[in-house]
Amino acid sequence: MEMKAVRNLRLCTKDCLCLYVCPTGASDTEDSVIDAQKCTGCGACAGACPSGAISMMPVRLPLQQEKDAEVISRMNVLLESLVRREAMADKLSSDADPVLAKVAQAIRRSSRLSAEDIAREAGYMLPQSARAIGLLKELVDNPPTKDFPKASALALIRALEEM
Amino acid sequence: MTYICSICGYVYDEEAAGIPFAALPEDWTCPRCGAEKAMFDPDGKEEAPAKAEAGGQVQTPVQLSPRALSAIFSNLARGAQKQYHPQEEALFMEISDYFLSLSPAEECNAGDLHSLVSSDLAGIYQECEEAAVKAADRGALRARLWSQKVSRIVESVLSRYEREGGRLLEGKNVYVCSVCGFVFTGTQAPEICPVCKVPAWKFDMIS
Repeated sequence: MEMKAVRNLRLCTKDCLCLYVCPTGASDTEDSVIDAQKCTGCGACAGACPSGAISMMPVRLPLQQEKDAEVISRMNVLLESLVRREAMADKLSSDADPVLAKVAQAIRRSSRLSAEDIAREAGYMLPQSARAIGLLKELVDNPPTKDFPKASALALIRALEEM
Repeated sequence: MTYICSICGYVYDEEAAGIPFAALPEDWTCPRCGAEKAMFDPDGKEEAPAKAEAGGQVQTPVQLSPRALSAIFSNLARGAQKQYHPQEEALFMEISDYFLSLSPAEECNAGDLHSLVSSDLAGIYQECEEAAVKAADRGALRARLWSQKVSRIVESVLSRYEREGGRLLEGKNVYVCSVCGFVFTGTQAPEICPVCKVPAWKFDMIS
């Protein structure tokens, strides 16, 4: 499997061993993002990094796992309820009572995070999966309103099909 | 006799604590995750959640609401971000924001939100579990369990707000786990998330 090194800047402690071991200088960049063009995928940097900030990612991800139709259907009901909670919390986040407003702000964020996790397990895990691309195509063919950002969706479809 | 927190698994041992669980004040909360006293179950008692209403009819949203689509796309943006694709992340966010702008506002009070969370806890989580068990889908099982635990703490925070009002946040901040959405009230974020176990720096403080 073809691999590339990626760095998590949050974990990088600048021990710079990656610079010593990289045969092509791919890890030596101003913005700390490993140069994918130069990276040969040898993995020496990930092995040498003492803080575990560099990991090796396959260039092409495996196909997304199949999802059972009933699981998708139930999880979508839950998803709808979570986003309804988000909408309610959004309304309450401008309440005159500052304590309720703050609690509601936390619940709005919490509901979105939970909704995203449920959406992921209801079949939208990988951006480059056939299902995600299919959803984008469906929206391009039948835009919900005339303001739908069609050009962006088309650019996204092109980029995802390349991944 | 011991009692276990249904959210984080904290064990309250009456013998070690020297105070019977029943004698603890009603506003006592879990020392680890802040859950209410009512969230504790006596050890050994099999959790028997309310059986979801039978009917067999699978509720299928033929079309997802704009806000659900917004969440699907903000999640895909995160998927792009994790793979270090900032341009795709931005495009997904643009579509997510578009659907958010189409989402109607809700007219409600805190009690309505509380009721919705409680009714989810009494029904849909169990239905998701049954479907996930049947399909042997561990990912779906994990996601629904985290969401259920997070919902329990949200329900707990809302009922504490109803009881305590402004005193709920006296000298305290509100923190949200940026991974699972766990809500915590305290002077600082918990060392690890009681639900998904990420470290404190993964929590965001609500300002």
